[in-house]
Amino acid sequence: MLKKIVKSSEFVTFTIIVLLSLIIGIINPAFFSLATVFDVLRASIVVSIMAFGLLLVIIAGGIDISFVAFAALASYGTHMFLLSRGYNGGIFLYYAIACVIGLGAGLLSGLIVTRFNLPIFDVSLAMMTMWYGFIRFFIGSTKNFKLPEGAVGYYSRFLVTVRDPFVGEAGLHFSILYVLIIGVLIHCLLKYTTLGRGIYAMGGNREVAIRSGFNIKGTLLVVFGILGVLSAFAGVTHSFLSRHFEPTLFMTQNLDVIAAVILGGASVTGGKGSVLGTFMGVILIQLINRAMVLTGITVEWQQLMIGLVLAFFISIPAIRDLINKRASRAVEVPEEI
Amino acid sequence: MNTTNLKPKVRFEMQTLLLAGILVFLLLFFGLNDQGFLAGRSISSMAIQLPEIGILSLAMMITVMIGGINLSINATANLAAVLSGLFILRFMPESQGPMVIVAMVGISLLIGVITGAINGFLVGYVGVPSILATLATMSIFTGIGVGLTKGQTVTGFPEVVGSVASLSPLGIPMPFLVFVGITVIAYILLGRTTFGFKTRMLGTNPVASKFSGINNKAVIMQIFIFSGVLSSIAGVLIMSRTMSASNAYGTATYVMLTILIGVLAGVVSGKGSVLNIFITVFILQVISTGSHMLLAGVRGSSFFKDFAWGVLLIIIFIINYFTHGRRKE
Repeated sequence: MLKKIVKSSEFVTFTIIVLLSLIIGIINPAFFSLATVFDVLRASIVVSIMAFGLLLVIIAGGIDISFVAFAALASYGTHMFLLSRGYNGGIFLYYAIACVIGLGAGLLSGLIVTRFNLPIFDVSLAMMTMWYGFIRFFIGSTKNFKLPEGAVGYYSRFLVTVRDPFVGEAGLHFSILYVLIIGVLIHCLLKYTTLGRGIYAMGGNREVAIRSGFNIKGTLLVVFGILGVLSAFAGVTHSFLSRHFEPTLFMTQNLDVIAAVILGGASVTGGKGSVLGTFMGVILIQLINRAMVLTGITVEWQQLMIGLVLAFFISIPAIRDLINKRASRAVEVPEEI
Repeated sequence: MNTTNLKPKVRFEMQTLLLAGILVFLLLFFGLNDQGFLAGRSISSMAIQLPEIGILSLAMMITVMIGGINLSINATANLAAVLSGLFILRFMPESQGPMVIVAMVGISLLIGVITGAINGFLVGYVGVPSILATLATMSIFTGIGVGLTKGQTVTGFPEVVGSVASLSPLGIPMPFLVFVGITVIAYILLGRTTFGFKTRMLGTNPVASKFSGINNKAVIMQIFIFSGVLSSIAGVLIMSRTMSASNAYGTATYVMLTILIGVLAGVVSGKGSVLNIFITVFILQVISTGSHMLLAGVRGSSFFKDFAWGVLLIIIFIINYFTHGRRKE
């Protein structure tokens, strides 16, 4: 049992997180504080929600890059629509409308993929280009800072707050609960339902999954629906946390989310991955980003350091595989290029 | 043994005909709707902009052909421009001679080889998935440039730097000639040499290629070096056209655009046509220039092209689906 845990990719990610935290903490003791934990968690909320949706697609054997456009379309579209209606109520209606838009956009991608038997990556590329063009040509191309009255103060609705000697008062935003709830739901879906087993099966071996009687097309449609809804949910949450709505929301961040999911142990070729691992992958990316500021590296060299740290950590699983293969004397064959 | 299959025949694939048809249709459509579209000025401005993205698309395509991806192409191009730019400013700021061009091209190509080798090492020898490896190197290459320039744009080059982009022998802009030359070289390398055959073999089935005695790691290394060199050439063209070097140039759009061009041109693992890339780059540029001219004055008109590209891509997928029959992925 213990051996199984130690060999799992989640454990590797966890070890890396602990090591990185120790290194940062030794250089800058201010790192070891609840304020830092809250800050990292807050930054992880939105990315985690999107990553959970993306995880399903990656386990199913595809890579989607259009989920960021779903988030932008749903949040910005909902906001501009409600704004034009003079809506001034709470945030619930925002979530409701955005999730419907996200569901629609996700299902459209899913229908094109399944009906015409197309690679997920190709369709998502087309969809991403199309939706960002659609938003900025048909809806609007400038940021909007006008929030409905019902949403004022949402960004500072904390679950708990602590006094911190370095940053003053620090709080944990209550939307971390969303991550917890969605994470548990997705985990249960993957582990305890036929649908979830079907997602793993089709990513592991598509032909075998079809022969075993899994409804591949139906499963993919559900996966895309969930991806759309979760992206929309993340988009609205981010917009309220940052107190503005933008048409190009997350436009350049899709690769970071993909990196987080894969750092969390999911395989690029499908069939592997878990909710817990994904969450740790997101935390790791946030830690790497923060490590620069906290260790006092000057601004102009930060990006280089982020790249080097990322290159180092993504090499660890690959090197571990190399060593395992050498040890078992198996023929070395590239799995993914 | 049927050896004829090993050599690609010179024949036009369905995809090439389809793309050429779309290009002709778009040219006619915009030409008839806008008087200025087929005028000399808009064509020559297209011929100067298009080579950069075309060469970057080739750099992306060859890595997709082996089943990988190279996200660091734009970062490589910018790093090549920044480093050769800094070198020129430091050692030959007043010079107008051909040595400036030699230094610019030489340093850029060297950067292309080094960055490509780093990618090739990570992907081929360490075994990191290329999407992660090149994501990290993208940050590293950009980071080196940002660190050296403190995030500033490098400007103030000698006039002669701009001559690469502004010269037009026989009335054809130099960047376009470079693009055509590179397209021909890439066509010969990928279609007519054992290197090209190994590339397609590796992309089709890495296991089979391994057991056929092909050194997969070496091929991956060569492909990424090739990709790096192509990117650095694009960097030279960008630097010469804009007379500046910046780490932020094209970062938000170029990588996605090259993937889009590759997908539109039908590039998949083990298969890819240089000619299709060439036509597709034209299609995208024509949509961009044409819709810009037609919608001049409409709010957000420059974003319509993104919408049109996405829709076009979906339409081509669907046409392919019906013409190729129920193809398996």
